[in-house]
Amino acid sequence: MKKKLLAVLLTAAMVMGITACGGNGDGGSSAGSSGGGSAQVDTSELVTITYLTTNDRPSGEAEQRYLEMMEQLNAILEEKVNAHLDIYFLSWTDYLSNYNLLLASMDGTVDLVGTATDWLDAWPNAKNGAFLELSEEMLQTYAPKTWESVPAEHWDLCKYNGNIYLMPEDNYAQWTNHGFIYRLDWAKDAGLADGVKSWDDMTTYFKYVTDHKDELGINYAWDSDATQYGQMGGGWITSHSDYVSIDGINSGAMWGGKKGDLYTIYSPYMTDTDSLVEYAKMMKEWDEMGVWSTDVLNRGQNTNRDDFRVGLVAAEQHHTQTWTDLVSHTEANKIFDTDPDAEVGFFYFGEESKNVVALNITHGAMAVSAGSKNPERALMVYDLIRNDPDCYRLFNYGIQGVSWDLNDEGMRITPEGYNSDTDNINGITNYWWGRNDDLEIRDAQKNWDAIDKLYAEYDSLKIDYPYGQFVPDVENIKGNIENINTIYEKYMKQISYGKYSGTAEDIVAQFQAELKAAGIDDVTAELQKQINEVYGK
Amino acid sequence: MSRKKQEAQAATVQVKKLTLREKIWRHRVLILMCLPAIIFFLAFSYAPLPGIYVAFVQYNYRNGIFGSKFIGLGNFDFLIKSGELFTLTRNTILYNLAFILLGNALAIFVAILLNEMRSKWFKKVSQTIMFLPYFISQVLVGILVFNLLNFDTGFVNGILEKMGAPLWQPYSNPGAWPVLLVIIYLWQQTGYNSVVYFAAIMGIDSETIEAARVDGANGFQKIRYIILPSLKPTIIILLLFALGGIVKGNFGLFYNVVGTNPLLYSTTDIIETYVYRATVNLFNFSTASAVGLYQSVVGFVIVMVVNGIVKKIDPDYSLF
Repeated sequence: MKKKLLAVLLTAAMVMGITACGGNGDGGSSAGSSGGGSAQVDTSELVTITYLTTNDRPSGEAEQRYLEMMEQLNAILEEKVNAHLDIYFLSWTDYLSNYNLLLASMDGTVDLVGTATDWLDAWPNAKNGAFLELSEEMLQTYAPKTWESVPAEHWDLCKYNGNIYLMPEDNYAQWTNHGFIYRLDWAKDAGLADGVKSWDDMTTYFKYVTDHKDELGINYAWDSDATQYGQMGGGWITSHSDYVSIDGINSGAMWGGKKGDLYTIYSPYMTDTDSLVEYAKMMKEWDEMGVWSTDVLNRGQNTNRDDFRVGLVAAEQHHTQTWTDLVSHTEANKIFDTDPDAEVGFFYFGEESKNVVALNITHGAMAVSAGSKNPERALMVYDLIRNDPDCYRLFNYGIQGVSWDLNDEGMRITPEGYNSDTDNINGITNYWWGRNDDLEIRDAQKNWDAIDKLYAEYDSLKIDYPYGQFVPDVENIKGNIENINTIYEKYMKQISYGKYSGTAEDIVAQFQAELKAAGIDDVTAELQKQINEVYGK
Repeated sequence: MSRKKQEAQAATVQVKKLTLREKIWRHRVLILMCLPAIIFFLAFSYAPLPGIYVAFVQYNYRNGIFGSKFIGLGNFDFLIKSGELFTLTRNTILYNLAFILLGNALAIFVAILLNEMRSKWFKKVSQTIMFLPYFISQVLVGILVFNLLNFDTGFVNGILEKMGAPLWQPYSNPGAWPVLLVIIYLWQQTGYNSVVYFAAIMGIDSETIEAARVDGANGFQKIRYIILPSLKPTIIILLLFALGGIVKGNFGLFYNVVGTNPLLYSTTDIIETYVYRATVNLFNFSTASAVGLYQSVVGFVIVMVVNGIVKKIDPDYSLF
């Protein structure tokens, strides 16, 4: 008897193990074939659609506000499409790894996935089968307003292998080109009457603020962490050449073309040697001035942006969109309360060389998870939060009268008793995957004079992102790119924070020699070949 | 002792030439007691084995492991091409050797000291204090170390400054880290490791020790001729187990304490941290599995070789 029991148990254990393995593959493949566009809209069953966004889950009173908003929103959604919306918050810590891991599990945890081709691995996930192919019929049936509002050439930019995977945020004016946000009033004191217009001016500015640290009441000129090196290095190159980078190959965006000759691919890290040496020298100067902390390379998280808001640091490196917040006299930006002379300027990378590339329309986009059990309803919900004024404003701004209100000029203001820590729904839902300028209400607090002026300047300089239809296939050069990543990180960190030993010439030469050994030329050649196939050179 | 008994038993079983069935029946109670462990290993170590195949394919979520395209050794490419494989493997093995050898030596030392303590109260308190660091998460350890050692606001430099001594900048000095990392490791692990040895010492037949004392052995002689030899089997088994993982680096420790500071890579980069940096942006299961497989194969070879050597010297102490 016992023997039998033993045998049964053993077999059971083994069989379970085996089926567990096999089950995975099956589950994956069947999920993909479902949802292939049955045209009937059946909303008899109430379903919950989960939307994935990158943010930390709100807690305490903020969660309360969030739940109140969701209750109202869900009432509308239930009435219109018999669905509820829930948010899956993907914490910022290691967000990219966790994002990919979550999508890879394909267990139906999420339905709508906020994504981006430049900063959230949209194409690799589409390629790996994590996103559902969205047929034209599906879009026409379930997301008709979105389908109409996006022009055909924009849909083309959302295709991989002929299938649409993404619904782009293509009707929202925003600029995410990076640069230094700094105190314009202090720059004027430093003798820069027009503000910072070049990297040399930036040096002058940093020299002034580091010399007057105590008078200005700052801890550091810029309490940078160890992750800024990529933006800085890329920013230097943009500012000193006509380089236009291709997104989504590696984090360093190390390949691209020139403004006048977009489809001849090169890597400025190999060709622009003198420029890089000059950069390395300037960063060493900054390091010696004490712009950042001595152990910046081990500086993990920091509070630089919040410190900037209260005047504890003199600079922040981020993009234009962030500057539009910091330049405005909002409740959070205390510097404008404590210092009536405070002004915030923006030195954008590329300002010196007039090299500005407009944002790719898939910098924000919505995809549907291939593991979603209700892809049709997910599209219907998306169509509402993207195009329906009530849903849009609830989801983006919160409840009118609590989180926002209209003033006489029809602009958005914060109501009496508003607390930016808890009532700011916009900072909770992080809906960056289908914002719509037709429904946006301008924020009365923002410094629109300064913002409109800069946007106009951009519009006069910009070129459209030229590689929107190029989805690089890195399978054959993956090994090279992985190694180039580590070399890039190893050297650019040292160069960008001026922490190298020896001369600037040596470190750049060493950097380039290692890149060469890792096969950067092969990668360039392979990308050139693929670019030729797409753009027929 | 018990090992010899088992062997004797095994020998008699062999003589009688029992069939597998009879053997199972004879040892049914033992087997039943092992059952949870057997099921555990079947489910978590043997059943997933076919999954090794993922290291040889271009993995696609929807096609699954066995439906994806086979690409042979393509996933191992980047490790070989990096030219760092030797340095990384060497760093990993040397660090682990230091951890294993120093860790065990210190643990034995501490266990013997604990054993010699007469005050029960003091013994318990010191054991607890040594054990505590083991429960601190590596992330916190990283933060603690940074706050102790960083140049601008670190505790150590604060003291140095007060004393007028030149300030110390370990975060740009790669030479300091092999020593620092070993110290941090020992601080965290010794309390835990010493428990095993302490238990083994407790298990030594008290009659032997009594006899030694009657024969006039002093404290040091007791340790040298009784305790240490009695610990030998435990030491060897623990060493052999540890050697199996010698190519697997302690990612938590290295990543949290050293971070991604390129100035320190020359002495602190191990296989795990390199692979993490190389692939974190590309998110590739297959490459990760390829690295894991490489580590397992090297670990397997090392265990086989060391076990073979131990067997040559003294068959009683080998694992199998």
